[in-house]
Amino acid sequence: MLAAALFCIGMLGVLVRRNALVVFMCIELMLNAANLTFLAFARDRGDMTGHISAFFIIAVAAAEAAVGLAIVIAVFRSRGTVNIEEIQTMKH
Amino acid sequence: MTIPEFTMADFWPVIPAGILTAAAIVLMISEVFLGAAASRTYQSLLSVLACVLAGAVALMNMTDTPRAVLQGYAVMDPFSSFLTLVVCVGTGLAALLAAGFLQHRNAERGEFYALMLFAAAGMTLLGLSNEFITLFVNLEVLSVATYALTAWLRRGSRPSEGAFKYFILGAFAAALMLYGAALLYGATGTTHLTDMAAKLRAALAETDASGGHPKQMLIYAGFLLVGAGFAFKVAAVPFHMWTPDVYEGAPTPVTALMSAGVKAAAFVALVRVFMALGPAVDPQLPFIAFSVLALLTMVVGNLLALPQRNVKRMLAYSSIAHAGYLLLGVAALFAVGKDAKVGVLSSTPLVGISGSMQSDVYQGILFYLLGYTVTAIGAFGTIVALERREDETKGNAWDLDRFAGLGSRKPGWALAMTVFMLSLGGVPPTVGFIGKVLLFRAAVDAGLLGLSIVGMLASAAGVYYYLRVVVYMYMRPAPEGALVPERRWTTELALVATAAGTVLFGVLPGPITALLQRTDMLFHR
Amino acid sequence: MFTHMVSPLTPYLPVAVVLGLAGLLAVLIPALTTRLGPRSVNEIKSATFECGSDPIGSARQRFAVKFYVVALLFIVFDVEAVFLYPWAVNFKALGWFGYGTMVAFAFTLVMGLVYIWKKGALTWES
Repeated sequence: MLAAALFCIGMLGVLVRRNALVVFMCIELMLNAANLTFLAFARDRGDMTGHISAFFIIAVAAAEAAVGLAIVIAVFRSRGTVNIEEIQTMKH
Repeated sequence: MTIPEFTMADFWPVIPAGILTAAAIVLMISEVFLGAAASRTYQSLLSVLACVLAGAVALMNMTDTPRAVLQGYAVMDPFSSFLTLVVCVGTGLAALLAAGFLQHRNAERGEFYALMLFAAAGMTLLGLSNEFITLFVNLEVLSVATYALTAWLRRGSRPSEGAFKYFILGAFAAALMLYGAALLYGATGTTHLTDMAAKLRAALAETDASGGHPKQMLIYAGFLLVGAGFAFKVAAVPFHMWTPDVYEGAPTPVTALMSAGVKAAAFVALVRVFMALGPAVDPQLPFIAFSVLALLTMVVGNLLALPQRNVKRMLAYSSIAHAGYLLLGVAALFAVGKDAKVGVLSSTPLVGISGSMQSDVYQGILFYLLGYTVTAIGAFGTIVALERREDETKGNAWDLDRFAGLGSRKPGWALAMTVFMLSLGGVPPTVGFIGKVLLFRAAVDAGLLGLSIVGMLASAAGVYYYLRVVVYMYMRPAPEGALVPERRWTTELALVATAAGTVLFGVLPGPITALLQRTDMLFHR
Repeated sequence: MFTHMVSPLTPYLPVAVVLGLAGLLAVLIPALTTRLGPRSVNEIKSATFECGSDPIGSARQRFAVKFYVVALLFIVFDVEAVFLYPWAVNFKALGWFGYGTMVAFAFTLVMGLVYIWKKGALTWES
């Protein structure tokens, strides 16, 4: 239940928020919600698979965070803002 | 605790990925010992060599018997082996293109090729994962590497903007898919696709005290999320918004790799997941979902490409349209018999899919993937040959006018581009034509006549914007003071290879189709 | 009939009690202290506390990029250490197979370390 709420907060955040860093945090929130779901179900069933899954998800999330932050820094350097609405130069 | 017993037979399918990873590490480490002025052409050639080796192993794996390996976490079947082959071909050609592209921009570093090879390793492993966590990790391996590649050029705002959009939406899609996988795990207690299929039916039928189906919601939500995640990755309408921006912003060789390899890998994983799980729930649902996606993607992709003057963006939209044709094939896999309740645009009764027809569809999908890979990389390769660094920030680097008069300035390049455009448009005698024939014929056999007709009409509309490039190259005079682009042998080698492949497979598709004519393409337990 | 029905929420009753008590205390303690305690406000007391040194400038200043680089590398390597724990716990049971697997894993990590080391990402002074 908590995980579902977290996931929804994360998803809404990605869709609504303007600041790139906040969007970024919301994505991490979604990943952790999935993590929590895996753990809750694993505990419920007494099954190890969910626990192992959580390890892998954490590791992957860390790698993703590293690359994501680097990209946000690159964006900030090239235009001095992390506001998503200003990051729109390419048009149809 | 039992220690798993692995034999060599377990490792054959992952050897191509191992070769690619090893080469990537060598490239990465060797880079730091090089001076700034050292020649780096060897890096591109080493990447190509690694791809050739990995491709050769994959070709050997094609003839092996399909089986589950590594305790069921992966499978070895011709379907995934052929994907590995396609990925290796695509990565090798993209690496050749990258050499000239990066030298021109003074940005050639070993890390670029290392990231490309890491991404390729992720793609090959994605094709053979048979378990949700393995699938997710490999998807992320390839995605994270491509995010970094997209942001490779640090000049100007476009690359970082493209990378940012790609990252946000890609990570969003991955999170959706992961959450869906978590829900499915909750309903069945396993993440292995084959076990999950067996348990899904039981979980669906389970009733609680009041007679409701407690797990039904969980399973359908899980399916929806996993499907949406995949739809993002293959850029199906309405999840396609990121594609044109990312394709335009990324360095052109990376765009070539994305349009070919990433998409192919995502398609193979999609087919594997839904072929394993879909029938266990209700084959109707995936059929309707994929039919609608295919319809929207074919039509919208082609319509949006029509007014494009920017050739790179036009190719991005065209890649969306091609994803639509492939989705048509995926939908055909789920075509159910005469008792079907719903059919999208089907005037004829749905015939349903049988064993031999299914292998026809697999053949169509795989051949189409190969054909599209070769052609798209060639088309992006021509752009690589033409574009100049100075124009990138101005945004007209890829305008149609750049192609004006190319027929007289560079007859060889113009001829190659003509071949690619004809192939993308599905005009004989090219590989694109054969691919479309195989795919549409399989879809019609499965009873998707209406959808196939829409697909053919859409691709006929597509011929218009492909031929416009050809018209510009041969009918328009070159603009005054048009710069003659410099020649680079690596780029030209890639162009020759792709053009030759496009025509050769178009005239003589026999060896490939014979390779793909198997009844046991996809491993089932 | 109904007396035998046990609500599924019953086991959570203690949790509800604790929650209620916590909420009550959270309201009660600040209320009591503001009512009963002596008050004196002066400039030094209301200033930001920063370990005895004067707070100067905004807290939202930029950090040097090298902090980011080190932080990112730390996160990545830190999280990879997670995979070592299950192996360490089951070291004997996993035997040579586990050892070989972990050597392959650690080798890949070390290659990454060599790369960033040679790239100079670890040198603080530059």
